[in-house]
Amino acid sequence: MSGLGLLLRVARTALPPRARLFRTGCPRPAFVKELFLGNFQTKEVLPYPEISNEELEEINHFIAPVEKFFLEEVDSKKIDQDAKIPQETLDGLKNLGLFGMQVPQEYGGLGLSNTMYARLGEITSQDGAITVTLAAHQAIGLKGLLIAGTEEQKKKYLPKLASGEHIAAFCLTEPGSGSDAASIQTRATLSEDGKHYILNGSKIWISNGGIADIFTVFAKTEIVDKDGAVKDKITAFIVERSFGGITNGKPEDKLGIRGSNTCEVHFENTAVPVENVIGEVGGGFKVAMNILNSGRFSMGSASAGMIKKLIEMTAEYACTRKQFNKKLSEFGLIQEKFALMAQKAYVMESMAYLTAGMMDRPGITDCSVEAAIVKVFSSEAAWVCVSEALQILGGLGYIKDYPYERYLRDCRILMIFEGTNEVLRMYIALTGMQYAGKILTEQIKELKKKNVKVMWNIVMSRLFSSRTASIGLIGKGGGVHPSLKESVEKLELNICDFGKTVEALLMRFGKTIVDEQMTLKKVADIVINLYAMTAVISRASRSICIGLNNHDHEVLLANIFCTEACFVNNYTMVSLQKNSPENLDDSIKKVANQVLEKRAYICSHPLNRTF
Amino acid sequence: MKCLRALLVAGELSARRGSFLKKDLLQFQRSSSLQNSRLLPVRSIQLSTVLGTSNFTVKNREKHDKESTNQSLMKTEDLFEATSIHEKTKATFQEAVDIFCKRDIHRKGHVDFIYAALRKMPEYGVEKDVNVYNKILDVFPKKVFIPQNIYQKMLKYYPRQQDCGVHVLEQMEHYGVMPNKETRSLLLEIFGDRSNPVRKYQRIMYWFPKFKHISPYQVPTPLPEDPIGLAKLSLQRIAADLNAKVTVHQIPHLEILDSEKVINHPHIVGIQSPDQQSLLASHNTEKPIFLEGPFRLWLKSKCVYYYVLRAEPSEENMVEVIDPERNFYYPMHLDIDLERDVLDDYEFDTDKVEEGPVFAMCMAGAENKATLAKWIVSLQETNPILHDIVVIFRLTHSTQELQSNEEIEEDNARAQAKFFKQEV
Repeated sequence: MSGLGLLLRVARTALPPRARLFRTGCPRPAFVKELFLGNFQTKEVLPYPEISNEELEEINHFIAPVEKFFLEEVDSKKIDQDAKIPQETLDGLKNLGLFGMQVPQEYGGLGLSNTMYARLGEITSQDGAITVTLAAHQAIGLKGLLIAGTEEQKKKYLPKLASGEHIAAFCLTEPGSGSDAASIQTRATLSEDGKHYILNGSKIWISNGGIADIFTVFAKTEIVDKDGAVKDKITAFIVERSFGGITNGKPEDKLGIRGSNTCEVHFENTAVPVENVIGEVGGGFKVAMNILNSGRFSMGSASAGMIKKLIEMTAEYACTRKQFNKKLSEFGLIQEKFALMAQKAYVMESMAYLTAGMMDRPGITDCSVEAAIVKVFSSEAAWVCVSEALQILGGLGYIKDYPYERYLRDCRILMIFEGTNEVLRMYIALTGMQYAGKILTEQIKELKKKNVKVMWNIVMSRLFSSRTASIGLIGKGGGVHPSLKESVEKLELNICDFGKTVEALLMRFGKTIVDEQMTLKKVADIVINLYAMTAVISRASRSICIGLNNHDHEVLLANIFCTEACFVNNYTMVSLQKNSPENLDDSIKKVANQVLEKRAYICSHPLNRTF
Repeated sequence: MKCLRALLVAGELSARRGSFLKKDLLQFQRSSSLQNSRLLPVRSIQLSTVLGTSNFTVKNREKHDKESTNQSLMKTEDLFEATSIHEKTKATFQEAVDIFCKRDIHRKGHVDFIYAALRKMPEYGVEKDVNVYNKILDVFPKKVFIPQNIYQKMLKYYPRQQDCGVHVLEQMEHYGVMPNKETRSLLLEIFGDRSNPVRKYQRIMYWFPKFKHISPYQVPTPLPEDPIGLAKLSLQRIAADLNAKVTVHQIPHLEILDSEKVINHPHIVGIQSPDQQSLLASHNTEKPIFLEGPFRLWLKSKCVYYYVLRAEPSEENMVEVIDPERNFYYPMHLDIDLERDVLDDYEFDTDKVEEGPVFAMCMAGAENKATLAKWIVSLQETNPILHDIVVIFRLTHSTQELQSNEEIEEDNARAQAKFFKQEV
C-alpha cells in the first residue's frame, strides 16, 4: 500500500506543476451577492467550469487507488461498532497522501485544487468517520497555517501534517461558547520574559482531539488599543502536544460518525512560543472566520458521493424484491423516491463543482456565501435522501446488520457541524443584505424623502423594461442551450422578483433586519434555490452542448428541479410581501412564546372536561 | 282587587307557620302588587309521593311529629343554633336541615328555612360545598311546583318558591360553586324544565366552564397551609421566571437560651434568578442598594407580605455596543444607514417609568430588621459582592390587623431610612 502511495506522490511531482496557489488579479463581484440586487453575473457561472484534460487524467490517477482502498480495506461496520478507526486504515490513508490533499507540493502535500479536492471527497465519503477525521485535519485543523501562517511556520509544521505523521485539530468551541466569541474563556497570557504565551482553558467537542499532535487553538489575549485601552481579543495559536499541559477527556459516544475521535481538550499552563501565533496577535477572529468559511464547500461533493452510492444499493434492492408479483421498482411511489434522490444528487453535485470551479479561478474571489449555500443545501438534501432510501428498504433499513441505518446516523451531523444550517442561513441572508444595502441606501433614502424625480425614474424603468425580465441567457449571445428555455425563464423571473423583494425588505426594515430571523431565513431559502437553479442549468447546458453521456437525463432533472424550485420561490416571495396572508410568522412567534413561557406543551388534554 | 290581595296574604300567612316578620309581609305585598296581573290561586301544598330523597322510618316520623309540635314555633335560625351548640361544621349543618325535613311532612315554611340556611352557610364554612347546596334544594317538596298546563306555564308558577330556587343558585354563583348533575335533576324534579331556576342553572352552566380557566395565573385551591410553602408559591408567582431559584434561608424554630429565654426564629424564604445574580454582581459598589417593603400580595382571601432588594435606576446609560468581532458565523450588525420604516414599527409608544433593578425578593415570618438582616447575610453566600455594598433598609409598617403572628418592634421608626452596614 505504501509503495502505491509513494508511486502516487512521485507521479504527482512528475506532472507539470501549475500555479494553483499564487493567484493574482482584481477582486470580482461575487455571484450570489449580486443576486441580491437582481443582477446575474453570467460570466461567473456560464459556461460551467471545466478542468483541462491533463488535470482530469491526473485526478483519475488518484481516484482509482483510493476507490480500491475504500472498497477493499475499509470496514465501515467495524469502525462504527468499535468507535475507532484501526491504525492500519489510518496508515493506509496516510500512504495515499489523503492527509495533505490541499497542502502545496513544496510542503509535501498533494497540492490539489479545490475541484480535485472535491472529487476525492466523493470517494472518501464512503465512510463518514474517515471523512470527518480527514476534514477536521485538513479542512479546518491545518487550514489556519495555510491561510495565515508564516513561511517558517509552514516549513516547520506542514510537511509532517501533510504526510499524516502529525494529525491536526481545530479548537474553537468551549462549554460556554459556540458562535459567541465574547464568551471564550481560554486565555493566553504573555510570560514575563515575553517569549511564551501561557495557555489555560478547556475546549469541548474537538474532532481528532484525542489523536491530534498539532492544535489550532483560539484564546483570549490582552491587547492594548490604539487609544491605550486594554482589551481582550482573540488570537490563534499553533500548539504542539509536546508543549505539555494538554490533557483529553474520554472520547464522546456519538450517534453517528462514531469512528471519528471527538473529545474535550484541556490546556493547563501550556507554554506556546510567541512565534507560534497564527496571523497577528489579536487577529484570531478573522483567522477563525476564514478557516470556517473556506472549509465548507467540500460537503456538497461528499454528500453527492454518498447519495450516488446509496442509489446504487437501493436500486439493486428495488429491482430484485417482488411484491404481488411485481418488482418494487414498478411501483410509482418507489419510482418517485429514486427520481428525488437522483435529482438531489444532481443538484448537489452541480453546485459543489460550480463553487469549486469558481474558487479555482484565478483572481481573488470570496466564495464563502456560495460555499455556505452548498453546505446548507447538501446537508439537508442528504438527510432527505437517506431517509427516503430507508423508506424504500422498509424494515431492512432499520436493522443494524445492514449499512443503511449507519448512513442515516452519519449524515445527521452534516446539518449541525461547521456552522449549523440555521446559523449559515443567517450568514447567507445577512451577507447579501449587507452588500445590497450598501448599494441601495441612497436610492431608498431618496424614495423615502418622496423625491419625485427618483420615483418617476423608477416607475418609468419598471413600465418600459421588458416584461419577461430576461437576462438574455438564451438566444443570441446567451450561453444556455435552448432545451432549457423554460427553466431559464423561470430562473430569470425569480431573480428579477428577488431583487425587488430585497429592495422592499431593506426599505421596510433597514438595518433592523438583523432581528428578523424568520424573514432572513426565507431570503436565504430563495437564494439557495436560485443558486441551485443556476448550477443545474449551467451544468445541463454544458452537457448537451458537448454531448455528454445521458445528457437528456440531465435536462429532465434540471427541468424538474427548476420547476419545483420556482414554485417554492414564488410562494416564499409572496409571503415576504407586507401584510401577506401567507406569512404566518407572527402567529408562529406567538405560539413559540407561549410554549416557551411555560416551557411545556400547554394545550389541555383532549379528554379533559370543565364540568 | 284589594280583597283578592288580602286573600292572598291570608293564604300566604296560613302557609307560613314559622317565623313571620312584618318586613316580609310588606315585601310580599309589594311584590304581589307588581304582579297583580297574574294572580294565582293559593293552593295548599299537595302531598307528593316523592317527598324528599331522605327516607325515614315510621318510628322516626312518630317521634318526629311529637317534636315538631314543640319545635314548629321555633324560629328557623334557632334550629341551627340548637344543633350546633358546640361546633359549627358541615355535619351539624346537615343535621339541622335533616331535622327540618323530618319535622313536617308538608315542609311548611321551607322557603324561609332555605333563606335562613343560605344565610347561615358561611358561618358553618359550607358555602363552597355543592353537596350542601343540593341538600338545601332537597328541602323543596318535589313535583308540586311543576306547572301542569299551558296557563301555568305561561305565568310564573309558584313565584316565591321559584325566586327562592334562583336565590340558592345565585348564592352558588356568588361563591363560585359549579352545580353538578344532582343539582340539575333536583331542579327538574322540583320546578320542571323551563322554570326560572332551571334557566338560571343553564346560564350558570354556560358561563362557569368558560370562566373556569380564564385566568392564566391560577392560584391553587386549597392554598398551602404551611407558611414556607405559601411563601414559595407567592414568590414564584411574583418572580415569573422559571430560572429563579427559591431558597429557604431559615426554617422556623424556637431556640431556648441558657437563661431560659425563648427566641423565635421565623421562616425566611427568598428567591433570586441567575439574571438577578449577575445584575447584582455588576452593581457599582459605591452606590447603596435598598431593602424595601413590606409589599402586599393577595392570594384569594389571604394576604402575604414580601420584601425586595433593589437599586435606584442607574444614570449610566447601558447601551450595549455590539462588537463586530462577536459572532464567528454571521454579522450581528449591518453597516447600512437605513432605519426601520415607520409603517413597520409596531412598537407601542408607552411612557416608560424608570425603575431600578430588583436583585432578590423574600418573605419572612416576622417583620423586623433582625430577620431581614439574616436574609441579607444568607444572600452573601451566593452573592459575595454584598459584602461590599451598603444595604439601606426602607421599611414601612404593614397594616397590622392583617398581619398574623407578628411581633412589631416598637423602636422601628416608620419609613425611616437607616443605614445598615453589613459587618462580616
